[in-house]
Amino acid sequence: MDSVSKYFSGLFTGIFSLLKGMSVTWKELWTPKVTQQYPENRDTLVISDRFRAELTMPHDENNEHACTACGICQMNCPNGTIVVTSQIIETEDGKKKKILDTHQWDLGMCTFCNLCVITCPSDAIKFENTFENAVFTRSKLVQKLNNEGSSLREKKKEVKPVEPKPVVEAKPVVEAPVTEAKPVVEKKVTEEVKPEEPKAEKE
Amino acid sequence: MENIKKLILNTVASAVIEEKQKLTVTVAWDKLHLLAKTLRDNAALPFDVLVYLIGMDRGEELGVNYLLSSSTDLSKELVLKTGTTDRENPLLYSVTDLFETAHFNEREVYALLGIRFINNPDMRKFFLNADWNGFPLRKDYDANPELNPLSLESVDMIDIAPRVMEVDGKLVEETVNIFGDDDYIINIGPQHPSTHGVMHFRTALDGEIVKKIDVHSGYIHRGIEKLSEALTYPQILHFTDRLDYLSANINRHGLCLCVEKASEIEVPERAQYIRTIMDELNRMDSHLLAWACQTNDLGATTAFIYGMREREIILDIFDKTCGGRLIINQNVIGGVMFDIYPDFQKDVKSFIIYMREKLKEYDRFFSHNVIALGRMIGIGNLSKEDAISYAVTGPAGRASGWSNDLRKHTPYALYDKVDFKEVIRTEGDSYARYMNRLDEIEESLHIIEQLIDNIPEGDICAKVKPIIRIPEGEYYQGIEAAKGIFGVFIESRGDKFPYRLKFRSPSMALVSVMPLICKNEKVSDFIGIGGSMDYVIPDIDR
Amino acid sequence: MILNYSQPLEITNLTGWLDSALRSSMSEFWVLLIEFVLVGALLLTAYAVIALILIYAERKITAFFQARYGPNRVGKWGLLQSVADMIKILLKEIVKINRSDRFLFFAAPFFMIAASMMTFGAIPFGKGLHAVDFNIGVLYVTAVSSLGIIGVLLAGWSSNNKYSMIGAMRSGAQFVSYELSAGFALMTIVVLAGTMQFSTMIEGQRFCWNIFNGHISSVIAFVIYLISGHAETNRGPFDLPEAESELTAGYHTEYSGLQFGFYYLAEYLNMFIIASIATTVFLGGFLPIQVQGWDAFNGIMSFIPTYVWFFGKTAVLIFLSLWVRWSFPRLRIDQLLNLEWKYLLPINLINIVLMVILVLTGLTLKDIFGIM
Ligand code: SF4
Ligand code: SF4
Repeated sequence: MDSVSKYFSGLFTGIFSLLKGMSVTWKELWTPKVTQQYPENRDTLVISDRFRAELTMPHDENNEHACTACGICQMNCPNGTIVVTSQIIETEDGKKKKILDTHQWDLGMCTFCNLCVITCPSDAIKFENTFENAVFTRSKLVQKLNNEGSSLREKKKEVKPVEPKPVVEAKPVVEAPVTEAKPVVEKKVTEEVKPEEPKAEKE
Repeated sequence: MENIKKLILNTVASAVIEEKQKLTVTVAWDKLHLLAKTLRDNAALPFDVLVYLIGMDRGEELGVNYLLSSSTDLSKELVLKTGTTDRENPLLYSVTDLFETAHFNEREVYALLGIRFINNPDMRKFFLNADWNGFPLRKDYDANPELNPLSLESVDMIDIAPRVMEVDGKLVEETVNIFGDDDYIINIGPQHPSTHGVMHFRTALDGEIVKKIDVHSGYIHRGIEKLSEALTYPQILHFTDRLDYLSANINRHGLCLCVEKASEIEVPERAQYIRTIMDELNRMDSHLLAWACQTNDLGATTAFIYGMREREIILDIFDKTCGGRLIINQNVIGGVMFDIYPDFQKDVKSFIIYMREKLKEYDRFFSHNVIALGRMIGIGNLSKEDAISYAVTGPAGRASGWSNDLRKHTPYALYDKVDFKEVIRTEGDSYARYMNRLDEIEESLHIIEQLIDNIPEGDICAKVKPIIRIPEGEYYQGIEAAKGIFGVFIESRGDKFPYRLKFRSPSMALVSVMPLICKNEKVSDFIGIGGSMDYVIPDIDR
Repeated sequence: MILNYSQPLEITNLTGWLDSALRSSMSEFWVLLIEFVLVGALLLTAYAVIALILIYAERKITAFFQARYGPNRVGKWGLLQSVADMIKILLKEIVKINRSDRFLFFAAPFFMIAASMMTFGAIPFGKGLHAVDFNIGVLYVTAVSSLGIIGVLLAGWSSNNKYSMIGAMRSGAQFVSYELSAGFALMTIVVLAGTMQFSTMIEGQRFCWNIFNGHISSVIAFVIYLISGHAETNRGPFDLPEAESELTAGYHTEYSGLQFGFYYLAEYLNMFIIASIATTVFLGGFLPIQVQGWDAFNGIMSFIPTYVWFFGKTAVLIFLSLWVRWSFPRLRIDQLLNLEWKYLLPINLINIVLMVILVLTGLTLKDIFGIM
């Protein structure tokens, strides 16, 4: 008798548990969906300010940046993503001075560890959240961060103390001339190639 | 510990005992097995957990460090060291018969340092192909790519294992067949939907029943330990996120802790709070994914997506805090890189409420489903003894009744200040592991709840010298990652680079026990058990 | 006649007109030939179109169960997604597998598709929309639909792939077991209806569907039929032969292009066939809801064409099947066989006896309430 009652109670609790499971999916059927409709929602899409998508070198309205070409970022980068080239020029008063030639960064190699940004003594570089970086050739991933014809900002305002800081006061720079690394053509390309799922995860 | 010292000297009179960061005992190569056995069988305080086994090139000598710990109290630790100066044909005695977890670790040491272990039943190289030239972790390794050219040829698997056995006091080199002659062998992996990465199980089947499993790993071995030997400590940090990428933040915390302890850096209170909260968020993230993958392995795709949906919210919080979702780069030596954002508390608190609701939903949806119960209860039984012998930690080890939560045993960060339960079940089956994870999510929520409103003002990072040098010595720090004990071992020679750095990965133990618990189960259950163990391959293939 | 209300939207008139037009101008032989070809072509088209619609519907509904939107890029709401998929499948290369049994490998998908095609032909889609009306319709459908398993077994055997082999073997065990239950469940209703012919069976359900007529017994048979039918179509939670998390794709791992397309179509069509047989046998087939005595109501109901009723009822059952599929984890082979041999089959046997008693003692609803 015991086994018979076990047989039936097993049957009914089993069916009951299945129905409970179905009630969950039923509810979900009518719940608004959470999937983001990219790229339709590009205008309303909020990417967090701190999102590290692209290394940039902010330039002000005089096309000046803060990089002294010291090479510390290059030294600190764990995988040789940054190459800083400099040249020695002679200033009017006859002093020798090192100025930045190119600050080159390779998006394809960067691990976004942020070390370069936190170690830069002059706060010259920072990460932007412009995430649409897909391109068709690898060579396009290598970007020159300093603008054409840009120069070092004179040290009127004192260099900020080196400290890990997430977002800097660099808001005005957004209006500054578009950085060389992102010409308009490339922008268009990035729109067409929409990154599927930007993260590689468990298969 | 005084008794232990006496015991050691009584067993091996020639042992050299030093008080370093941990009690360190150096013995001759032929005495190690005896000493390990005595320590393991010591009734008062059994040292029966082999936490790590590290092969080292100490310059002149090639050696191995063993960290033994007690399954009853993981804060009791003891390092055994041995070595051999024979660099041509280094041989040491295996401890596989004492600690099963040593098996894969010894094979790893053989692959990377060339030390062979006498009496290890299967002395194939782990991670590397049998024909790999040179031993990468030796200091005199020649990394010239021409020595190990990339081959595009298809290579057949060879199921013959060499080994060195001691028979009647004589060493015999022999080979052994892994499989029987007419075994029906099926390759599960390296490309398979349910191996959670590029793991390769060669499986002998008898109909639907699994007869034997042979684990092949190393398909994504990146040589992180070798790479680290040429990087500064802050630079090494970014590798930790790429081991078990699901516990990225916790792993990184582990390395930071190890360096901070070694160079005596005081971490500010605020940073401790942020670290603890982020660790717990990360743990939930990992457990949610584990839950999702396990249900998916059992064939419930819908549940998988539900898990991912909840996890997404945590990732959004990470994203807003640290600018990364999976690889979040939050911890740095001395504190954290990013302060929390203004709405952090609000977001986390609403997540806590949301998650509690969803946990109830999971309960209704999956945890009591008859089919799911049938697929999990009594399947993949792992006894407590085996869990200890294989050093299976984390939710999986605790499902076998072994209390091994380092947050309780050796509290770090703020874990001694918060109130939480260590979730322990004794059944040891897939279902216990499954439920453990869900319960740990609840505990994590509870921990965060206690901290979230009390985050003190202050610095988020201590002042640290730009170039960090660790004083000479050996340092080890274990930490409770989502999948078990994650450990960082650093041997420093006073440089800004580590001399040897080793990560103890929890997943390695989880995989090494798979052949045992899957034996005589069905193929479908093999997949299900894999899901319940929740290993991550990059963690194994460092 | 089954329905005697006015039915302006039925297409019986159209077919009748076509038939008489042909007959007036041709000999009997040619008329038959042309009609055969027409019916064949129509069935084939319907087969493909229904499959495409089902694929779209399943993807969409699944997505909604899973907090997603599903296909929404090709066409409005992704409506053209299945068409795009079909084109892709047609264009894909058919890969030749080394060391496989060529002939069987190519033949296997045809078994699969032929079996479901043949069953498809015997389904009454609506009034006058019935290609063949055997007097042993139920038997025919059961017999022919079980041919599909040959395709699965051959595929597993000929692919020379261990995963396929395991999948095929599982499928064999599963199919043989569940065929039994499905057959018995149908037999229960045959006892009730007293006929094996679909048309007469439908006619008998005019005012009282079989599922109500045999009350307890019918409901049990209905549930069992749905479960075992679901299992026969190899869909989750009974998708062991494919079991993508275990066997990658089970028996059709090695198939590509159109051959894979055949399996894919057949899978969806089988789902449709199971649902439509259940509709026909249990839910009054293409008949509208009619209540004896309520003439006005009946008139309105039968204004809706019969094929709409048929597809509507079938759609409800298909939705049920999707709902189940996307709610549960997969069974293991022993659970699967346990369910069949320990639960379904014994219950089924008792049920059939119960039905006999109900019919003999006059306890069916029709007998009790005197419904026609
Ligand atoms: S970006 Fe900063 S660290 Fe790099 S070279 Fe310029 S000033 Fe130096
Ligand atoms: S983020 Fe890291 S990897 Fe990328 S450029 Fe900076 S230092 Fe190098």
